[in-house]
Amino acid sequence: MAATILHACGWIEQTPLGVFVRESQYGFLVLVAIHIAGLALSAGTVVWFDLRLLGVSMRGVPAPAVYRQLMPWFFAGFLVMFVSGGTLLSGFATAAYGNAYFRVKVSALLLAGVNALVYHLVTARRVARMDGAATLPWPARAAGLLSIAAWTIVILAGRMISYTLYSH
Amino acid sequence: MTSFFARIEASGIATTISQSVPLNGVLSGLHLVGLTLLVGSVLVSSLRLFGVVLPHEPVAEVTRAARRGIVLGLAISVASGLLLLSPRISRASANYIFQLKMLLLCAAAAFHFAIYRNAARGTGRTWLPPWVAGTLGLMLWSAVVLAGAAFILIE
Repeated sequence: MAATILHACGWIEQTPLGVFVRESQYGFLVLVAIHIAGLALSAGTVVWFDLRLLGVSMRGVPAPAVYRQLMPWFFAGFLVMFVSGGTLLSGFATAAYGNAYFRVKVSALLLAGVNALVYHLVTARRVARMDGAATLPWPARAAGLLSIAAWTIVILAGRMISYTLYSH
Repeated sequence: MTSFFARIEASGIATTISQSVPLNGVLSGLHLVGLTLLVGSVLVSSLRLFGVVLPHEPVAEVTRAARRGIVLGLAISVASGLLLLSPRISRASANYIFQLKMLLLCAAAAFHFAIYRNAARGTGRTWLPPWVAGTLGLMLWSAVVLAGAAFILIE
């Protein structure tokens, strides 16, 4: 399994995109800047929905309304982050596969994704029935707290990748 | 000023930071956490001032916590940024992009405390229409972020 993944990583690095990311003088840095902007937009907006779930902000606004209004901004940022991150990865796939911080970042992203899925499949229905209550049940508050923790880990581990992986 | 910067660079904390890659990584991560909180808070409160998000909810209800988020994000970014720069503050301060970033940062912070904060309270006691304050605030903070990205590219 590991050998197959490493083989795939090596192949990705040899694609024109991978070569461009590694060898371009400014392309890499521009991609990092775009990746950080996308991350700031996605994590920066989702945190306000998480804080609403926790009852820290917008307590007078129903949580589903906050979700509907902020999520388009989150998804726009996430798309930018995902595409730029995938492009960056193409240049250093093998090293990333063996990098502990990269694994932590991907694990935290998966945790954030599973947490969001559980919220929408289970908790959101209960929240919708509460008709705009300021204080939400504990599963909703736990989802908000877990999301903030996961995104903080994504950011911190992401910066550590820059200091341990790239040769630029 | 040069001797002041030299003293900062020679300080124990600057020396420790310059010799530690993990510490640089943690500080850089905290800088980004602060920036993310700042950007998200400015975006949410400015979009409400434009009437783009939650237009039927009171301005103060939407922006109350976001105003604190802006100040907290700014404090985290500035503190971690100063520590990150301490080993190379002489070189950074001579960089014109860095000077531009600091100028924009001061302008954005001054605008926030002098005008934006009142507009985001939704009390109507401001001489600028809320959407103008929201636009200017968002533009100024975006310019700070862009100058920061440019500084990384140039440096």
